Amino acid sequence: MLAAVRSATVFGVEGRPVIVEVHVSTGLPGFQIVGLPDEACRESRDRARVAVLSSDLRWPSARITVNLAPSGQRAGGTGLDLAIAVGVLAASGQVPIEPLERMGFIGELGLDGSLRGVPGVAPMVAAMGSVRPVVPMVSHREAQGVVGSDVHVAATLRQLVDALTLDAPWPTPAPDDIVDDGPPVPDLADVRGQAMARRALEVAAAGAHHMLLVGPPGSGKTMLAQRITGLLPPLDPATALEATMVHSAAGVRLPAGGLVRLPPFRAPHHSSSMVSLVGGGSTTLRPGEISLSHGGTLFLDELGEFAPVVLDGLRQPLEEGVIRLARARASASLPARFLLVAATNPCPCGGGAPGACECDDGQRLRYLRRLSGPLLDRFDLRVGVERPAVDDLLGSADAAAGCHGFAEPTSVVAQRVAAARQRGLARSGQPNSQIPGARIDELAPLHPDARRVLRDLLESDRLTGRGYHRVRRVARTLADLEGADDLVLEQHVVMAMQMRVRLGVSSRERAA
Amino acid sequence: MTAPLPPEAYVAALAAFRHMTVHRLGALLRHRTPLEAWAVALGETPATGLIEKVMARPEVRAAWRRSASERPPDAVWERCVALGLQVLPWGSDRYPAALLDDRLPPPVLFAKGDLGLLAARRVALVGTRNATALGRQTAREFGHGLAAAGVHVVSGLARGIDGHAHRGALAAESHGRPIGVVASGLDVVYPREHHDLWQAVGNCGLLLSEAPPGTAPEAHRFPLRNRIVAAISEAVIVIESRERGGSLITAAEALERDVAVMAVPGPVGRRSALGTNQLLCDGAAPVTNVHDILTALSFQHGRPLQQAADLRPRPRSEDVPVYRVLQHEPRTIDGVALAVGVGLVDAAMALARLEAAGWIGQSDGWFECVGSALR
Repeated sequence: MLAAVRSATVFGVEGRPVIVEVHVSTGLPGFQIVGLPDEACRESRDRARVAVLSSDLRWPSARITVNLAPSGQRAGGTGLDLAIAVGVLAASGQVPIEPLERMGFIGELGLDGSLRGVPGVAPMVAAMGSVRPVVPMVSHREAQGVVGSDVHVAATLRQLVDALTLDAPWPTPAPDDIVDDGPPVPDLADVRGQAMARRALEVAAAGAHHMLLVGPPGSGKTMLAQRITGLLPPLDPATALEATMVHSAAGVRLPAGGLVRLPPFRAPHHSSSMVSLVGGGSTTLRPGEISLSHGGTLFLDELGEFAPVVLDGLRQPLEEGVIRLARARASASLPARFLLVAATNPCPCGGGAPGACECDDGQRLRYLRRLSGPLLDRFDLRVGVERPAVDDLLGSADAAAGCHGFAEPTSVVAQRVAAARQRGLARSGQPNSQIPGARIDELAPLHPDARRVLRDLLESDRLTGRGYHRVRRVARTLADLEGADDLVLEQHVVMAMQMRVRLGVSSRERAA
Repeated sequence: MTAPLPPEAYVAALAAFRHMTVHRLGALLRHRTPLEAWAVALGETPATGLIEKVMARPEVRAAWRRSASERPPDAVWERCVALGLQVLPWGSDRYPAALLDDRLPPPVLFAKGDLGLLAARRVALVGTRNATALGRQTAREFGHGLAAAGVHVVSGLARGIDGHAHRGALAAESHGRPIGVVASGLDVVYPREHHDLWQAVGNCGLLLSEAPPGTAPEAHRFPLRNRIVAAISEAVIVIESRERGGSLITAAEALERDVAVMAVPGPVGRRSALGTNQLLCDGAAPVTNVHDILTALSFQHGRPLQQAADLRPRPRSEDVPVYRVLQHEPRTIDGVALAVGVGLVDAAMALARLEAAGWIGQSDGWFECVGSALR
């Protein structure tokens, strides 16, 4: 007898539908899987057989052939266990075949007959199309995020079979009593002083400008970077779905409701390998940290400590918004549109103020050379951060109120950021950092004073042609933050320049 | 037909030997002609005293014999001639008078340029490699002022203060010339960034070294070089130094030779002023401008020094408080805004105007005053 059961596998962040065909016939007992199963999949035979036996069901003593269609494509993962087991049961007459046509089965089987979750349930469910997914209880959230409530769950194979044969009710999914949206987003009001850096965070969030924080250890770079998530708006539906697929494919736990709604924040350690950042692996091409930050922020602390080859891997995602991975047999495209925030010391000793730094010029140059020119160039914002003064730390109100008001809480700043983002999007359809050079005069017209300042900077070689465009985009965002809808003024250009500190060499000297 | 090798060639070759030190070379050459010293070094003639002790060690004997065959006198001499160097063994007629009676004179000197400069007024400007922008500026100003007054500027051609002192002297394009004393061979430029400076000092002034061409800038040679800087100067001015540094060694060597030591005071607690402030506490004379140096040397500079006109436009009245704040110490933009009591935007505008006009410079987010002070 022949039975066909729908299932799916995941490749990169995309699901691929698979039809598990099971044929049971007379002949010497045997079990064969064809259709290019991978190692984990080949082991399905043993898991399925024992699970079936543990569920008080009959494992046919006959010649069983399983085909994973489309057969020319490599199929992988343990998620096909359930479909294979169901297929065997159907082909041996233990479950009715007809209802199976309207369902899709995903899950790993334990030897005791329990259903286990696998990574990538969300993209797999999406790929199966308009059938009703049947997934393990623990994967309910992921499936729910994609198709809503039209999901069957089961905790054991026995429950599933009973529901199919005896018309027993399907088990109800466990209620989501743990409302875990993750730890609370840190508040900007916790940051003392650092008025310039806080302003730069606003700019980064409002215009999607990549930001580099430069400062000695203990100056609060990590603290500042963590607070940017609170300033970014929730993900729009399309991005939320993409992010959900990525998280699911990477095996990262999804928030309640099964959809990633808040912008992710990923902070890989500088010893991370290329594959962990970019994604890979031989069969499934699992997404890496860069893709996991899609729609949110990727924070690279100690930028100079990352291996150069790893930093090089950032180039494609920063330029194109995707990561294209290729293997011998297949390739995948992973989404990777994120806000890059990085932190670095200005020099190896971490001294900070001039005169306190212990490095000689050679050491400094060598340290900064590790941050390659093209990478540094990607940052629209390069902000200096200094160790907080004692007054700031002890919370003197005068000190905090000194420059640009008190330390505003995230809620207030987020509103300003949202309004500015809206202006930018309404004007050009994309964040200000993406404004193409050709349209910059049209979308970010300059006041004559602003133009004069820029000309002066270009003529005195304190600004390069490439830097010029970046400064204009940042100035546009600054203007949007102030509600100035039209011309970009001199003060915006000046502030934008102040947010681009020059690293290593004093701006008015040549190196001796 | 090749001319016979001059005796200096043998001195130069001996100086290039591995395991050769100042003391050993001096002992070899004392009371012997260069050819005789050469014979002793190769073991052909018996040695006495220190050399006998040294040559008792087989590794020294072997190293010297190897050096003699790897770098024979004719090869070394050819290199010196090709580079246009003068080889001056101690006691030869062109050997600098100031070093003849030194407690540890260089047994041989290699020179490129005008040796006559060593007979005129000479002042050493030295300091740390980790200089602040203000220190570098001071070095340039002093170098310029001294050269304009006809005083030759002695320094070590190191990164930081030394390099800038000579740049200032060269920029004056006047009677005062740069005299550079280096630790490596005169053909081994160190640091590499100073290549143009070496050329300029060799062409317009004088380059000196105790080490033969091809010698690398080994660490132990730098303190040795510092004694030469002190010995050939009338005064040593330390512009900036941390609590430890080569320039303090130069100051110590100067004191032992009764050469005047002066220092530029710095803000209390600033790392780059710790050494110089300590020198002042120990009795060095303070100096804040070139006049102080010239006066201390009883230099009769009849006409007053021309102060170069400041071509920078005066800052706006509202920017002056920002400048004054930065005169105290370098600050970030947050620090400036706090200190002056204005908002970030106003601080940013003021700093941008001051930077554009050339009154301040920025690096890593820190702002400092540059150039002569605003009156």
